[in-house]
Amino acid sequence: MLLGEGKMGITIEKVSKNFGEYKAINNVYLEIPSGDFTALLGPSGSGKTTLLRMIAGLENLDSGRILFNDTDYTNKAVKERRVGFVFQHYALFKHMSVFDNIAFGLKVKPRHLRPSKEEIKEKVYDLLKFIQLEHLAERYPSQVSGGQKQRIALARALAVEPDVLLLDEPFGALDAKVRQELRHWLREIHEKLKITTIFVTHDQEEALEMADTIVVMNEGKVVQTGTPEEVYRRPVNEFVYRFLGRVNEVNGRYIRPHEVSLKRAPLGESFPAKVVHVHFIGSTVRIQLTRLDEDILFEAELNEEKYREIGPIAKGEFVYAQFTKLVDFDFQQKVKPLPQKESVL
Amino acid sequence: MNKIKSPYKINRLNFNFEAFRKGGLIGVALAFLALFIVVPLIAVFTEAFSKGAELYFASLMDPDARSAIKLTLLVAAIAVPLNTIFGVIAAYAIAKFQFKGKNFLITLIDIPFAVSPVIAGLVFVLLFGSQGFLGPFLEANNIKIVFAVPGLILATVFVTFPFVVRELIPVMQEQGTDEEQAGRILGANGWQMFFRITLPNIKWGLLYGIILCNARAMGEFGAVSVVSGHIRGLTNTIPLHVEILYNEYQFSAAFAVASILAMLAIVTLFLKSVVEWKTK
Repeated sequence: MLLGEGKMGITIEKVSKNFGEYKAINNVYLEIPSGDFTALLGPSGSGKTTLLRMIAGLENLDSGRILFNDTDYTNKAVKERRVGFVFQHYALFKHMSVFDNIAFGLKVKPRHLRPSKEEIKEKVYDLLKFIQLEHLAERYPSQVSGGQKQRIALARALAVEPDVLLLDEPFGALDAKVRQELRHWLREIHEKLKITTIFVTHDQEEALEMADTIVVMNEGKVVQTGTPEEVYRRPVNEFVYRFLGRVNEVNGRYIRPHEVSLKRAPLGESFPAKVVHVHFIGSTVRIQLTRLDEDILFEAELNEEKYREIGPIAKGEFVYAQFTKLVDFDFQQKVKPLPQKESVL
Repeated sequence: MNKIKSPYKINRLNFNFEAFRKGGLIGVALAFLALFIVVPLIAVFTEAFSKGAELYFASLMDPDARSAIKLTLLVAAIAVPLNTIFGVIAAYAIAKFQFKGKNFLITLIDIPFAVSPVIAGLVFVLLFGSQGFLGPFLEANNIKIVFAVPGLILATVFVTFPFVVRELIPVMQEQGTDEEQAGRILGANGWQMFFRITLPNIKWGLLYGIILCNARAMGEFGAVSVVSGHIRGLTNTIPLHVEILYNEYQFSAAFAVASILAMLAIVTLFLKSVVEWKTK
């Protein structure tokens, strides 16, 4: 309905960019297949937003190339790239109605390409219907909620039928419940339109939940690329492991809290620990404990079933804990190199 | 019980003291305002009409007065648009781009506020006067700047040029560049971006700057006085004409012409309030 044959893969080839002395992007190579839903995931300052802005043409590169379907787009003007961009704070035009915001990209087209007024109106109303905000057409951005602004920004980006959709921290400014809804909604839109989509996030949960491919970035480099399952189950290094979830560190080795097993009685290599705090977070129970033998703080997570098995645990109680699956990155890399997919390190 | 009661008492005391302080401060401010602004304003109009409405209108219809009014309008009609265009460009550059020497440029823009207008006028005399730096060249080409209309325009442009820029820089900085970038990605060219995104966002600030710039352009005395040469009917603006009339003991006529400027001030204040109210 909305988009043409927007099949567009993107290749980023040895791209670097410095801001003064600071290496914002450091020799990045990345291939994003056509129709993919990709998350650029990393902490702040990892270069993910800079990379996204480079793809849009809002930022120049110092070296390297950016290819759209094998065509060099490195020096192509922003408006010739046919990208849709959703800004972190939406950047809606404050002085225009919702309708005019969405119509903007159509209205500024050169005369010989510009659709007629009726066509523009029809298209904008199609998009408004699509984002379920027809009733807000005449409102101004200051009169709609954050989640609605987000959807309007997306409709505005889609109006010009982009080949690629870029989103900068799309849900960063929204409250938790709206964020959850919009995640599903955006995913559905992608299923419908199949447009190559890249979004930037620092929220690992968001990336794991939404993306087909996760690109983990740190300090201007791509650390790992893979499906959510790959990066979560087979992280290439400590950074990725730590970034993708909660972690206990045990003498240079790691274990996730939900892999810690707790028992009432000693068993195997278990050790005694004292319960410091118990949090109930929805269906999981997070327990903070201190090792009695080494006086180290660690965390365990139990799902409802496991928690019922062991019975109610209170602050100050003593239990036995066992670290069964400690991850050792030095060891793994020496002994059994993980099968990696196009990751550059 | 005591513990609950005592803070209540203190609060009551505080409240009374606050009310007293508030009333006192407002009273002082109003008295000051009345003495220095309202009284003189009333004085201008009473003096202007002291010898009857007939003389009042006769003073305004006097050929010299009319030429002064025309010249003032002409000078403002050239200086204000020039400073508007310059102001928008300079504010855009300063607010939306990073470049070396930006702070220096901001300082330069402030010079007309910092320098006495008389000195500004003298600078133009020294530059373009017959004894001045460019004087011989201008004379050879028969171009008159000082003691002629171009000099008045130059001096006025100089004195009033910070108004629009100063007003726009904070407005544009607050806007940021996000909306323009969004426009660029959606395919807008430079002109479309300026007229459809930038300008609508700054229009009230711009109008505010233009109103202030215009008020000053029409009311400027010092710099204009130095470059004018006071040629009646040719290089006298309204403020200069008022001075001449006053020096010739034509008080009613002087105040009659001055009342035009006073009315301009009132209109300016009214427009300013409207714009402020529009911007919220």
